[in-house]
Amino acid sequence: MKLRSGMLQKLLPFLSLIGLFVFLSIASPYFLTATNLASVVRQTAVINIMALGMTLIIVSGGIDLSVGAILAFSGVAGTMAMAGGQPIWIGLLVGVVCGTAWGLLNGLLTTTLRIPPFIVTLGTLGIARGVTLILSGGLPITGLPPELAFLGEGMVFGVPFVLLVLLATAGLVHVTLDKTKLGRYTYAIGSNVQAAVYAGIPVARYTVAVYAISGALCGLASLIEASRLMTGQPTAGQGYELQVIAAVVIGGGSLTGGEGSVAGTLVGAFIMGLLANGSDLLGINPYLQQAIIGGIIILAVALDEARKRRFAR
Amino acid sequence: MAALLELEGIEKRFGGVHALRGADLRAHAGQVHALLGENGAGKSTLMKIIAGMQRRDGGSMRWQGGTVDFARPKEAHEAGVAMVHQESLLAHHLTVAENLFLGRENLRGPLLDDGGMREAAQRLIEAHKFPLQADWRVERLSPAERQLVEILRALQGQSKLVIFDEPTSSLSDAEAEEVFRIVRQMRERGAAILYITHRLVELAEIADQVTILRDGETVHAGPFAELTTDEIVHHMVGREVEHIYAREPLPPGPELLQVDLPGARFSVRAGEIVGLAGLMGAGRTELCQTLFGVTPAAEGSIEVEGTNVLPRSPREAVEAGIALITEDRQRTGLALDLPLATNMTLARLDGVVRSGLLRFQDERAVANSFIEKLRIRAAGPEQRAGKLSGGNQQKVVIAKWLYREPTVVLFDEPTRGIDVNAKREVFGLMDQMAREGKAILMVSSELPELLQVADRILVMREGRIVKELPRGTTQQEVMHFAALGDGEAIPR
Repeated sequence: MKLRSGMLQKLLPFLSLIGLFVFLSIASPYFLTATNLASVVRQTAVINIMALGMTLIIVSGGIDLSVGAILAFSGVAGTMAMAGGQPIWIGLLVGVVCGTAWGLLNGLLTTTLRIPPFIVTLGTLGIARGVTLILSGGLPITGLPPELAFLGEGMVFGVPFVLLVLLATAGLVHVTLDKTKLGRYTYAIGSNVQAAVYAGIPVARYTVAVYAISGALCGLASLIEASRLMTGQPTAGQGYELQVIAAVVIGGGSLTGGEGSVAGTLVGAFIMGLLANGSDLLGINPYLQQAIIGGIIILAVALDEARKRRFAR
Repeated sequence: MAALLELEGIEKRFGGVHALRGADLRAHAGQVHALLGENGAGKSTLMKIIAGMQRRDGGSMRWQGGTVDFARPKEAHEAGVAMVHQESLLAHHLTVAENLFLGRENLRGPLLDDGGMREAAQRLIEAHKFPLQADWRVERLSPAERQLVEILRALQGQSKLVIFDEPTSSLSDAEAEEVFRIVRQMRERGAAILYITHRLVELAEIADQVTILRDGETVHAGPFAELTTDEIVHHMVGREVEHIYAREPLPPGPELLQVDLPGARFSVRAGEIVGLAGLMGAGRTELCQTLFGVTPAAEGSIEVEGTNVLPRSPREAVEAGIALITEDRQRTGLALDLPLATNMTLARLDGVVRSGLLRFQDERAVANSFIEKLRIRAAGPEQRAGKLSGGNQQKVVIAKWLYREPTVVLFDEPTRGIDVNAKREVFGLMDQMAREGKAILMVSSELPELLQVADRILVMREGRIVKELPRGTTQQEVMHFAALGDGEAIPR
């Protein structure tokens, strides 16, 4: 009995997603069409992939405010390579490597200088944005190979290609978080960093790894973003950090660390995606959309806290 | 005489757990009332109900003759109930004075009267001769000093009933003596005192009445003077417990740990349990932390099986075969929100990893075998470590290090805050480790325990080992060297 109602509450984000899905299917005739659903997937893929990395960081008890800026830098660097004549795979590699480098920098700064990640990443947010604008001269990168569009817009067997990329990434991150030492240590560090140190875990090394992985995923997301716009935008990803953190938190991640899951994050990101899509379809003022999402975040965390209080002893 | 507080048939459930099933308690003004019971017997829950931190599910509570129901700590406090918590409930970033006045700040106009509060706090500290300063920040204090702050909080105002939840578990004997003096002083003033402790020796100092809980029920209540220690233990565990910590010394093996640090030169052999005694602040915990690489030594050597390891971090210590069971299991020993299986495998995760992936089946098997072997009372390997009682939490920490299979095991206050029965089991485990050929160094402020368990005792004073005493030494002898150091004759 106790376990059941606890499970029910844990499943609440998932049930909300289904409820939202059913509601929109009834409320709008355009919702349940292949074109619309594919566009929801495409629109949320970037936030979703970034949120997977953020899940690791939040589980470890950290935070990364620079993800949007990393996305912009990696996207510009990757598209510049392609615009300069390099093949697409090199462009992708450049984007992912740049993202990883920014993540490494975030991780190293927090662990070696012992500055809270909130401050470090607030700083790197500014640095990455500035460097991106200098690198691009403030102008979008154009002249990209037309085949790049496939990454963000292509279809495979009637399914958006980007969905396959997302599912593969989610699967990898899930296995990492749930079934590897890295994942287990991430939970341990987020739950009680002192106990982790005393258990002989190289806490700094794993913390850096977590930020680096998140950076790499931002790099991947940056090229998806570029392929959808077919340009490298130096101002891409403004405010994405908040959406990404919101997705993790709606999905049950705890900002005090030790809690969060890939499944929860996916659900959280899709809830936000459906809210945006549904508001468009139902003709709700886009400014109001932002307010609705803000309210949903508070509601989700409030429900989660209530659940924990009820079952805490 | 009418009782100040009367509890009858108190019931409390937490989900499926029946924590209290008919607990009775009567406390009178001007008396010290000891509340005894094993961990998990329901003492803390009962105290929380009295202090308004929990609501009862059944039974009656009368305060000064009238039925009451304290819905919030504030209501209990206003009625005259004060509680000295076992675990520190202090705001770590604030000063001692700020904590003492937390929630009842003095104002000067619209602003806080910081100076006035600091002075009042300092006067209170000096009146009790506590080794504190009003403007010290709590995060810098040791557990013992934090306990003193908790006590000072309860001493403010004129409480009719003061609840002490294991006030001395982290204190030295001298500090504990000070607590007893305060308790007696409160009793003379006419307050009723409820006193929870695991140190039965203390009761002779202060207790007038005793109530003993077992499995959430009151099994005995009456004057303390009518009970022997054996009877008390019998009531608490519900069966006879033969004399507890007696241990057969083993033939000494090879020297596994050789330490040569400024102020500390000693070695520990395989199969040996060496005790580290000393007053609060003598540097025992600090020595353990140096051996474990938390605060690395600048010079000297620490050898494990003849190899100099001198760990620079806990990680290096663990890899060299050293384990540390810390004095604060909640802060440094356990990830309380994670399952106990996760906690147990944390120091040797490779044991349950196959080709890069965790094997949950193997992990569960490891956890189940330790739950069985160490008789850990838990719902299963998935239960969160934070939900276990103190004794069972300590066993989880021990399981973590047993699984790592270390060569040298450092125990820092291994029996703090756990009950008689759990203590016996912890000592049993230490004995077993010794028999398996490990070298054990144990810090304890519970001198009687140390004397019974250890093969030798090293006495520390002001950061140095001043004396080595053989098995069979006396409490007086240890205290003499701990307080005065070597070089003076022991007065006969």
